[in-house]
Amino acid sequence: MRIVIAEDLAILRQGLAHLLADHGHEVCEAVADGAALQTAVARHHPDVAVVDVRMPPTFTDEGLRAAISLRASQPGTAVLVFSQYVETRYAARLLADSPVGVGYLLKDRVADVAEFVDALERVAAGGTALDPEVVRMLMRASRQAGGVSSLTAREREVLALMAEGRSNAGIATALVVSPGAVEKHVAAIFGKLGLPPAGSDNRRVLAVLRYLEG
Amino acid sequence: MGSMTPTDAGSRAGAEPARDPWLLAAGCGSAGGSAAPSERSWRAALDWLLAKGPVGRRARAEIAYWLLAFPLSLLVLLPLLFLLAPGLLLTGSLVGALLGLALLALLTRACRTLGRAHLRLAGSRLDAAVTPPAPFQPGRGILGRLDARLRDAVGWRAVAYVILRLPLACVGLYFTVVPYVVGLFYLSYPFWWLVLPLRGLGKDGRVHPLPVSTPFPVGGVRITTFPETLLICLLGVVLLAAAQWTARLAVIVDSWMMRNLLGATGRAERIRELEASRARAVDDSAATLRRVERDLHDGAQARLVALAMHLGRAKEQLGPEGEPPNVERARDLLSTAHQGAKDALTELRDLARGIHPPALDGGLEDALASLTASSVTPATLSADIGMRPTPAIETIAYFCVAELLTNVTKHSRAAHVMVEAIGRDGTLGLSVSDDGDGGARRQPGGGLAGLEQRVSTVDGTLRITSPPGGPTVVTIKLPLQA
Repeated sequence: MRIVIAEDLAILRQGLAHLLADHGHEVCEAVADGAALQTAVARHHPDVAVVDVRMPPTFTDEGLRAAISLRASQPGTAVLVFSQYVETRYAARLLADSPVGVGYLLKDRVADVAEFVDALERVAAGGTALDPEVVRMLMRASRQAGGVSSLTAREREVLALMAEGRSNAGIATALVVSPGAVEKHVAAIFGKLGLPPAGSDNRRVLAVLRYLEG
Repeated sequence: MGSMTPTDAGSRAGAEPARDPWLLAAGCGSAGGSAAPSERSWRAALDWLLAKGPVGRRARAEIAYWLLAFPLSLLVLLPLLFLLAPGLLLTGSLVGALLGLALLALLTRACRTLGRAHLRLAGSRLDAAVTPPAPFQPGRGILGRLDARLRDAVGWRAVAYVILRLPLACVGLYFTVVPYVVGLFYLSYPFWWLVLPLRGLGKDGRVHPLPVSTPFPVGGVRITTFPETLLICLLGVVLLAAAQWTARLAVIVDSWMMRNLLGATGRAERIRELEASRARAVDDSAATLRRVERDLHDGAQARLVALAMHLGRAKEQLGPEGEPPNVERARDLLSTAHQGAKDALTELRDLARGIHPPALDGGLEDALASLTASSVTPATLSADIGMRPTPAIETIAYFCVAELLTNVTKHSRAAHVMVEAIGRDGTLGLSVSDDGDGGARRQPGGGLAGLEQRVSTVDGTLRITSPPGGPTVVTIKLPLQA
């Protein structure tokens, strides 16, 4: 994979670059703010951009805004937004147009290097990666609203993993059940939430999120 | 008097020599030197007159103020007296007490409104800023409203002002108009002497004196020679120069009356101050929290993320089990992670100390001693605090001194800095003086302005004396209890 990193804290910027290089990926450029990110992506056309949310000059959400504008201007580049906090509002903005080739992860996730690289590869390949924390917050919010209250505990687990962007096989591995059982759960979830069963993982995430966002 | 007669010639001849200085002076004005410099000096004189002199901007504003104030005071007072007198009479007669009280309520209400208008007029004409009183709090129902009006201290003070204002406006108008008019009149004496046949021999063969009136109804002199008219002319100049000051005197009295009768009372002003300082305190604590969050986000939190990342990579290099595929690399990563953990600890400790310095647990004197001991610029401390201030005051004092010491090191190039902390009469006085370059100033959003804001949240004050070339002395006064 060819990657551009936008992160204002040098210690994390360099760490990420080394980590990705360890795994045989090419870091084309590592920059420190949103404007430089736009230029770097336009120059290198990378497979994926890893973008910090809080960057100069305002230290609020320029990374997120840069990511959203990148998704419009550079459809060939997937975007993984990377932050020390997760905000469901940000997730909703990021996924609003289409959940193709987009991810939103807590920075903590780099501690599990293999999982992090896996999520990044999934995003670069046009998939989705949503932080479990975001999913948890969305679930909690919608449970209060009564949305997923009809689901069983197991179905809720499956929905959470689905929302993170995992495939049925991935869910089966995570829950240590058979793929057939997962398929049954997924069908039950769609049935209970009144969603038509759809083919790809992305549609599932989109459907789940749209539903959760109400 | 009449037209000149041949007999005038004699006395005229006596006046001739005195005429020359006038003509000479006039001639010098137009013929002396080239036109440009004299024109420039005329222009400069005119500018001065229009800017500062007896017809300067401020003087003009004050003249206009009194010219307006007198008729307005008169116009306003008469109808109000028609409210006041029957109001008092009816109330006193008991028969029409209710009507009388209603009239008086109406009076306080009208005067309140007038008072506000006066403050606005004074504010726009004279730049005399007086804090206006708090708005009226009406009671419930007709009687409640009447009661509130009758007990409205602001309204009654305004009544007193409106009544006292008329005599003051008379005096003000007199002090404004008379010096100007009389001054101009005096100035023109030599002219009248020359133009008007005011003098000369009367039927009794004696010189008729030219009368000089005074601004006062009594006194006055009569002059008989031309040089005397020049003296009077000089007196006119003096009077004109003094005119703006006499007008200002009346303005000063009026401002004093406005402050005391129309302005907010001490308590109302105090409430407003407290509201402002509370707002500052809230802002200050919000800013502090923001700073702490920012420090955590960019500091310890980022370091811990990096640490987790390094450990994760090291774990990968060591492999899941058996012989590690890359021990060398894992060792490097671990040592980086180790260093990162230590850095994160330091970062967290500094941050915790920034929130509440543990040194303060032993009292402000100890905390200041450890601050001065660790100051980069050599510092000596002289502390005599006595009774222990409240924790909030200790914290503010500590951070102020810490920041001032950092400023000294960063900006002043001082060789030595002296810190004093003295508690006396319920006040904690802090001063930080250095022998550096000086020139320290409050800048909006700067460190000193921030300190001042922090200090003002507890009614403290901060004073800076820092002439260019030094020395710089920053003095802070805080209440011991807050």
